[in-house]
Amino acid sequence: MSKDKKNQVSRRQFLNYTLTGVGGFMAAGMLAPMVRFAIDPVLQPDEGGEFVSAKISEEDITTEPKRVAFNVEQVDAWYESTVEKVAWVYKQEDGSIIALDPTCTHLGCFVGWNDNENYPEHFYCPCHDGLYTKDGVNVPNTPPTAPLAVYEHKIENGILYLGKAIPREEA
Amino acid sequence: MKWKRQDMQQYLKSKEYIDTAIVPLLPFSMEGNDEDLLSLTYQHEVMDVFTERLEKEYKGRIFRFPTYSYLATSKIEDEVERLNGYYEQLKTQPFQFVFYLTFDAKWKKHEKNLEGQLLWLPILKDGDIHQEETKKVILDQNEQITDLIRAYWSET
Repeated sequence: MSKDKKNQVSRRQFLNYTLTGVGGFMAAGMLAPMVRFAIDPVLQPDEGGEFVSAKISEEDITTEPKRVAFNVEQVDAWYESTVEKVAWVYKQEDGSIIALDPTCTHLGCFVGWNDNENYPEHFYCPCHDGLYTKDGVNVPNTPPTAPLAVYEHKIENGILYLGKAIPREEA
Repeated sequence: MKWKRQDMQQYLKSKEYIDTAIVPLLPFSMEGNDEDLLSLTYQHEVMDVFTERLEKEYKGRIFRFPTYSYLATSKIEDEVERLNGYYEQLKTQPFQFVFYLTFDAKWKKHEKNLEGQLLWLPILKDGDIHQEETKKVILDQNEQITDLIRAYWSET
């Protein structure tokens, strides 16, 4: 019988509510860090390999592929070393820059641009006559089965920086 | 390809494409005067850089084998014989071209008794491999050797 509005919440109910509330907070306080640790790798920004200066300024890049060499610190399971990497860099028709990894997707020789008179305006692999068009896509019926990988790149202070080479699937 | 398990795995799968073997030839000695010893180690370093580069750019067709070491004092006729034994081994695989790379002029005289192609490179007796000048020389020689190897390739 509730004649009085003051008695709408009984003492027992009040205690139940407060204890659940406080207990809930405590449980959440304990769980939150655990959950964070569990999904921590997801929250880390993807470093995507460090970017290294290709020592070429943006203005020097033309629509003609140019060979640039740059050094990358590489850590293997057993030793650390400085490795020279090579990229073919040029501006695409829309003005954006592209940096191709010269490693032939067949067996890993370095391809050259426009250096075989039989295949002008192509990337040519001297080992087994692999061919790629200017955008690095492999020409059918030549040994390679995938396009040349593309380096991640960015421009900082007008200088080109290159990152990891990202393989591409067959077009 | 290098003399490594991972590369060998790839080689075994694509033997028919890797038809060129490169074997560096380097003399070994510890008894000479200081100058000789410096020169030997310097030549070893240059050879390393040299073949490393060659292998890197033509990985899919060139197999770089471990260095063939011999005593600087041993009779070259004996070494020719031993090296021909190496050649027999290589020829059990589908290698079409076998190149020996050396800075040691002794081999040159016995070239005709040697199976495979001898590529003899003259080199400075001593130097600093990290110097810009030396680098330039090495790169230039490297280019000439690759041109030569490619010329052999295009004949077939």
